[in-house]
Amino acid sequence: MRPFTFVRAIDADQAVAGYAREPEWAMYLGGGTNLVDLMRLGVAEPGLLIDVTRLPYDRVEEAPGGGLRIGAAVRNSDLAADPAVRRDYPVLAAALLAGASGQLRNQATVGGNLLQRTRCGYFQDVTKPCNKRRSGSGCPAVEGDHRNLAILGHSEHCVATHPSDMAVALTALGATVHVRGRAGERIVPMPGLHRLPGDEPDRDTVLDPGDLITAVELPPLELAARSRYRKVRERASFAFALVSVAAALDAEDGAVRDCRIALGGVAHVPWRAEAAEEELRGGPATDDAFRAAADAELAAARPLRDNGYKVPLARELIVRTLAELRDGTGADASGGTP
Amino acid sequence: MTTPRVGERTGRIGDSTARPDGTPKVTGAFAFSSDLYLTGMLWGVTVRAPHPRAEIHGVDVGPALAVRGVAAALTAEDVPGRAVYGLDVPDQPVLARDTVRYQGEPVALVAADHPETARRAAAEVAVDYTVLEPLTDPRRALDDGSPQLHPGGNLVRHVPIRRGDPQPTAEVVVTGEYTVGMQDQAFLGPESGLAVPAADGGVDLYIATQWLHVDRDQVAAALGLAPELVRLHLSGVGGAFGAREDLSMQIHACLLALRTGRPVKMVYSREESFFGHVHRHPAILRYEHGATREGRLVYVKAEILLDGGAYASTSQAVAGNAATHAAGPYEVPNAHVDVYALYTNNPPCGAMRGFGAVQACFGYESQMDRLAAACGLDPAEIRIRNAMREGSAAITGQVLDFPAPVAELVRRVRDRPLPPQRSTDLRAMPGGVGGTTHGEDVVRGVGYGVSIKNVCFSEGFDDFATARVRLEVTGGEPVATVFTAACEVGQGLVTVQEQVVRTELGVDRVMIAPADTSVGGAGSSSASRQTYMTTGAVRAACAKVRDRLAGRDPASLGDEVIDATVEWRHRPTSPLDPVTGQGFAHVQYAFAAHRAVVDVDLGLGLVKVVELATAQDVGKAVNPLAVAGQIHGGSAQGLGLALMEEIQVRDGEIVNPSFTDYLIPTVLDMPPMSLDVLELADPNAPYGVRGVGEPPTISSTPAIVAAVRAATGRNLNRVPVRPEHITAEGLSVEAGR
Ligand SMILES: Cc1cc2nc3c(=O)[nH]c(=O)nc-3n(C[C@H](O)[C@H](O)[C@H](O)COP(=O)(O)OP(=O)(O)OC[C@H]3O[C@@H](n4cnc5c(N)ncnc54)[C@H](O)[C@@H]3O)c2cc1C
Ligand code: SF4
Repeated sequence: MRPFTFVRAIDADQAVAGYAREPEWAMYLGGGTNLVDLMRLGVAEPGLLIDVTRLPYDRVEEAPGGGLRIGAAVRNSDLAADPAVRRDYPVLAAALLAGASGQLRNQATVGGNLLQRTRCGYFQDVTKPCNKRRSGSGCPAVEGDHRNLAILGHSEHCVATHPSDMAVALTALGATVHVRGRAGERIVPMPGLHRLPGDEPDRDTVLDPGDLITAVELPPLELAARSRYRKVRERASFAFALVSVAAALDAEDGAVRDCRIALGGVAHVPWRAEAAEEELRGGPATDDAFRAAADAELAAARPLRDNGYKVPLARELIVRTLAELRDGTGADASGGTP
Repeated sequence: MTTPRVGERTGRIGDSTARPDGTPKVTGAFAFSSDLYLTGMLWGVTVRAPHPRAEIHGVDVGPALAVRGVAAALTAEDVPGRAVYGLDVPDQPVLARDTVRYQGEPVALVAADHPETARRAAAEVAVDYTVLEPLTDPRRALDDGSPQLHPGGNLVRHVPIRRGDPQPTAEVVVTGEYTVGMQDQAFLGPESGLAVPAADGGVDLYIATQWLHVDRDQVAAALGLAPELVRLHLSGVGGAFGAREDLSMQIHACLLALRTGRPVKMVYSREESFFGHVHRHPAILRYEHGATREGRLVYVKAEILLDGGAYASTSQAVAGNAATHAAGPYEVPNAHVDVYALYTNNPPCGAMRGFGAVQACFGYESQMDRLAAACGLDPAEIRIRNAMREGSAAITGQVLDFPAPVAELVRRVRDRPLPPQRSTDLRAMPGGVGGTTHGEDVVRGVGYGVSIKNVCFSEGFDDFATARVRLEVTGGEPVATVFTAACEVGQGLVTVQEQVVRTELGVDRVMIAPADTSVGGAGSSSASRQTYMTTGAVRAACAKVRDRLAGRDPASLGDEVIDATVEWRHRPTSPLDPVTGQGFAHVQYAFAAHRAVVDVDLGLGLVKVVELATAQDVGKAVNPLAVAGQIHGGSAQGLGLALMEEIQVRDGEIVNPSFTDYLIPTVLDMPPMSLDVLELADPNAPYGVRGVGEPPTISSTPAIVAAVRAATGRNLNRVPVRPEHITAEGLSVEAGR
């Protein structure tokens, strides 16, 4: 780990200005659960760490136009336990609780969770080439170990996945991300914050260096009260998703009025399943229709040598989650322990 | 079994006794070797090769030495004594000189006044490599075109076993090929220690290890010092499971300390730890079992390839174990077994709990299930029909002259009531609180696994343990002190020693001196042997003390101090015949049986182990509480191998060196367990004890996989079983990569 300077910002202007003074070396620090790991591995080498957890962004409150405004420094545990989130957006609480461990969630922040980096093994190993870490150095995962990596939207330059569970729920819900940059405030929609790798896999998101996430806003969305998160992982807790689904469904009289679906563990971005949603809206709320919708989405899948298993996993998960929402069955996992 | 009060330590042989290290470990107060500290000490860091195979043309430590705060930077040129080390075969360079054989091999060392300074300086060391194509497929290791990784070629050891009819035939024949992935010991305390240079030119090393004397001998040889100038002291050990049997930073820290004249501490990071110790041998096993229509075994043929990786470590002994246990705890008159341990450029593999018997057990137990199906028998029944018992001959010709209640163990797990059908608690479902199923597509299966494992060192090894017991009156009370070099690695050895002394001398106050090399060797805390061996040694030393006491009350000793040392041996074993593999190779066998009940989500390929029932014969439960702990922990490690634990190695490189990406079971993955502990004394062993630590690790894996097979109808020839091996459309990858 290279030596660095640590400062704790007390307001956003100070944080952004501090960054602007050391644009080459500065990084914001949330809970540090991802960044500090990457620093220890030599993947991130900031010279200036600006702690943004003491900024006044630690509240979940009603947004002016309805919906919820979530401060970027809100801890994952607090967000998952928030009564309004649990009542109106259960998919978000469930997604948060499906991630990491209790200790990590106590520490991790909303801003940091959104911007956590991929778990691709080559990315984390500085002795390996990796286009995401060092632009143009190559992508060993394409031919190498990619069992956990992307089946959708990848490029020859990078096949990594975004690891966040929370971001999948936010993507399904159509959250917006409030950003403070040098040029002032702006709002970035989700999907839209994260980007596909294309030929610039070193850029995970559309944010510019120095952009500070101040809040995430959830739109008022009635159907979100009936929403679920399901996550496939290889041990009962404390593991990243192989595939996950966040979904909300409004179905009546056997027909789908509206729905939201996003997939995790399948792409460089939390993947909004727009084709599936399109297929479903106005159609019958039957298992067959759900399967057809999943197939419509997954028609675009281009699995790699060792991760084809994710396609049927994603299909199965979409169908089950929608069926559960339709039938109103199943316990709500947001109440579960780790 | 009554739960003892924490801190209460009065137990004698057979009493449940709380471990002194238990509470401090749980509360975080225990001092591990990574907590060692001396004012003015330096921090040592290892420069490791990033390539699995390369030539080294030069190592320039100049840039590292130029970093402020750096006290020394060493290369292979700076090793004053023997340049190589190794447990059985000294084939591993202390520091690589001109060849790199695995990713992460140490090339140079740096010591500095701060760990970060040392790490940064280490990054400055310039190594000139020519990268070569690595040999990573053990099946190609003996091919003509493959590179020779060591002067003697790529074969570490071939162990043949030939018994009975060389061309046997049978009414029912089943074959199978099985693969075992690379498991890690996954101990929590990374490799660490503190080397302190001494005024006499020697060095004191405070170290977490499994075997002090064999460490000392290798360190002394590399330093070019007489063994008595190298003194090892056991420091707080954070788990071992075999991973501390080979050296890691021992020589390195001592080299740096002697060079700088200052204490040097080294601590591996978690990631580095994956490169800093050996792992469980991945294996490819080909089996053919022949039986009568009634399911009686006629013959077993097996060919087992063990990928030993870059250096020999304990591969020879692991191969011996895989061979001698290749047919399992069953009577079989004809056997034809070939086990090959091979060099490749993969990470070095060596000792891990189960030691060769784990791999074999997955093979032969999978076969027993196939045979049961082919004969139309219940899986438990076929095992009972073929079970070894006292008086049976193993495939090595060794006759079991101790209780071998294999059939009884199987009956006991079979006859346990089955757990209730599914509950509605998400945590009890496959996928757990991921909420992936609420019962859709879930099927249940039941499977069995039975293990056999040798206890103590084998094949003619001179296996001994030393104990010194001192009896004196202190503060008006008789006090016994025990001195050994036996390593407490978390298995509960400290209480065992106390229990022996209380039983033998009737003295309640017993102190266990810190283990170090000031007494004779104790052998390794491995091979399920340390309770057996050190119990034998301490008991013998107590007997000597009792002789000298000559019937007096210990409290009446006054100023007299009775001090007795004994070097104790188990009855000798003999080497295997090099052609037929016949011989009295093992002093004792231990057995365990598991019944696993699983729920499997067919659509997603997720498994929830619902219950593990186990029965094990332990000869004598010296500390029943510790016995239960060993069985729980061992079973968990076996569950890990069955379902999730695998070091992903691709082209010789480890892809998942972290506990975020290398998955070990959590408490939510472990099911409730029912334990049946039998105590059939082995007349050859002190108190009749039988090693406990390994058998549960061995049989839980095949039991779980058998249950998953029963639930899914899939073949599942590879562990760990992954979701894609279970889900329908994943069939093409069934055999694994
Ligand atoms: C063992 C382990 C298991 C895990 N399992 C899961 C899992 O199953 N599912 C899951 O979703 N996640 C998992 N995680 C990841 C975890 O959720 C993230 O590490 C965490 O959410 C990151 O939040 P943080 O506040 O600690 O971020 P930090 O580590 O502090 O920061 C992460 C990144 O965000 C940037 N950043 C932080 N705050 C801001 C801001 N306000 N504005 C702009 N940039 C900012 C930082 O500069 C940095 O680049 C796991 C992590 C670990 C270590
Ligand atoms: S997939 Fe992306 S992150 Fe992984 S090695 Fe390739 S470029 Fe790097």
